[in-house]
Amino acid sequence: MATIVAQQAINGIVLGSLYVLVALGLTLIYGVLVQINFAHADFVTLGAFSAYFFMHALGGSYLASIGVALLVGATLGWLVNVAIFAPLQRKGSELLPLIATIGVSVMLQNAMLAWFGPVPYAFETPYSARVFRVAGTFFTLQSIIIIVVSTVTIALLYAFMKLTFLGKALRAVSQDRETAGLMGINPNRLIMLTFVLASALAGMGGAMLAPVLVLTPFAGASVIVKAFAIVIIGGFGNVEGTILAGLLVGLIESFTTQYLDPGLIDIVVFGLLLLMLALRPTGLVSEKREENV
Amino acid sequence: MRKPAIFTLPVIGVIACAVAGPALAQDKTIKIGALLPISGPGAYFGAQDKQGVELALEQLNKAGVNGYKFTIQYEDSACAPLPATQAAKRLIEQFKPDVVIGEECSDATLAIMPTMAQAKIPLLNAGSSSIKITDPGNPWTFRIMPNELMQGVDIATNAYNKLNARTAVLLNENTNAGIGNAKVFNDTFTKLGGKILAEIGFGRDINDFTAIATRVAGLGKIDVIPTYTLEGQGLKITQALAQAGVTKGGGGGSIQLGTIWLPFGFEQKAGQTSIGYIRIVQFDPTDQRDIVRNFVTAFKEKYKADPTHLHAHAYDQIMLIADVVKRGAKDAESIRDGLAATKAFSGVTGSVEFDKTNQNIKMDTIHYMETKPDLSWNALKWN
Repeated sequence: MATIVAQQAINGIVLGSLYVLVALGLTLIYGVLVQINFAHADFVTLGAFSAYFFMHALGGSYLASIGVALLVGATLGWLVNVAIFAPLQRKGSELLPLIATIGVSVMLQNAMLAWFGPVPYAFETPYSARVFRVAGTFFTLQSIIIIVVSTVTIALLYAFMKLTFLGKALRAVSQDRETAGLMGINPNRLIMLTFVLASALAGMGGAMLAPVLVLTPFAGASVIVKAFAIVIIGGFGNVEGTILAGLLVGLIESFTTQYLDPGLIDIVVFGLLLLMLALRPTGLVSEKREENV
Repeated sequence: MRKPAIFTLPVIGVIACAVAGPALAQDKTIKIGALLPISGPGAYFGAQDKQGVELALEQLNKAGVNGYKFTIQYEDSACAPLPATQAAKRLIEQFKPDVVIGEECSDATLAIMPTMAQAKIPLLNAGSSSIKITDPGNPWTFRIMPNELMQGVDIATNAYNKLNARTAVLLNENTNAGIGNAKVFNDTFTKLGGKILAEIGFGRDINDFTAIATRVAGLGKIDVIPTYTLEGQGLKITQALAQAGVTKGGGGGSIQLGTIWLPFGFEQKAGQTSIGYIRIVQFDPTDQRDIVRNFVTAFKEKYKADPTHLHAHAYDQIMLIADVVKRGAKDAESIRDGLAATKAFSGVTGSVEFDKTNQNIKMDTIHYMETKPDLSWNALKWN
């Protein structure tokens, strides 16, 4: 009994760490731009495919492929921001960039379908096959890598936001864009930085998720709905809340599978989402301060 | 001397017929509509089906059949009821097909059946297993694939008798086909004296199967694990069960049992985790019949790859339609009648003979394969 609980806790934390990586990008964009990027899922998928081809076509290592996916995500984010998002934002419309991200999503999905085809790819890393069995529980080297990379990423992001000038500037923009502009901060550059950072996280999340996902051009879509739920449960745009909510959703999935039924996972997760919206709309981590990021 | 018109007219007529004859013959076409999943998680079905269809059409249209050529229009039915219904209506209104092939997923096939029946167009299915498709029977829907009852009863009986399995855990996607297949196995296996330790259903949006594998590992000694999913989730389940030490591929004692849904090449993707996996395949590429050897050779020549069961059953669908046209069918109604009268059609997946519910009753389309340590197949010859 205790072994099963421990095992499902491990499973939940590993899965939750993956969700956090995907949801952090969404929460950053919402926190700073008050926008939702519907193409985020496709950035995740493209990150997963770039890691796959870096390993299988170029013979690179899995760990290096995580860096490659991060760079691909960042580049894509920069491109989408320069070509589509920023010009539409400058027009002052909130709706146009939102719709544009849907367009980018459809375009990327179909481009990936044309390039990579619909047949699922098997993304194997040498670390997935290394299974450790300790006191009745099991975990793979891959799951250790997931937890380590997620923890380091979260720590670096946290340090960046709290300790660096750019991080503080981002928080200032998320608090009040106009006043931040009056203080000499260039909001457009920070919007660009946010988009690049969020997309880099999505790309890296793709590389981390790839061995778990059924890797097809539609792979990201299967996690993005949960990532949105995590962002809402955590508190729109709240980084700490997103981390907590991501881990919570991972644990809920594991324990629902064990003690209820995997078919009920969405009911439990989205039931929690509705409950949060009704009882605690500010999210898990409600802060007295107004800024979120 | 000028010839009287009475002599000239027949000559002109003969010449006109000689010129127009071939043109008229070329105008005789059988229009085939194809409702296939081209997007979404089942998109690999559509991509492979299309290759099988194109190969068959290329061969048939070289000379035609009874003066008929075959044209096709594909619509994306996305493996789901709503897009499938919309695609079916679009196909009927715009293309006006004489016969339609598809869908692969049972939920989608069930959704388009009423539309086809209303339009009086025969639907030839080769990839959906739900019993509801042919039970109680629909005069416009035909299925060449063995249904869930044929597959489920057979695999449960073989698990009990040939593998001496007494305990089982069922893993299935929550769809008509997944639930239906699991139920048939459950009913047959328990009737024989076996025990189902758990039946675990899940949605198609589940990615990480470690939690499910953990639950399975905690259920004690399990002899067999029948699994009903599409390829992508099937891969992840096989890997997770091996990691949890449950199946033979992970050093455990349980044997995973799979369905006709998984394509050729699954083992290569799942790797060592699939060792000991026993599954039904609809197409045996090692079959020595001439028709199979010719198909494999032609396929490899055209696509530089090995054919899967999806290529094979799509090829059979078109060849069966051609066979019906050869027997005199020329429109939707006569194609329907011709299909119903099929008795001894021999395809690359096996033979076809429909019962009164329009279900193919031939069992030679069911082949059992076990994955060997080198990931090749060991044909079990259970049927």
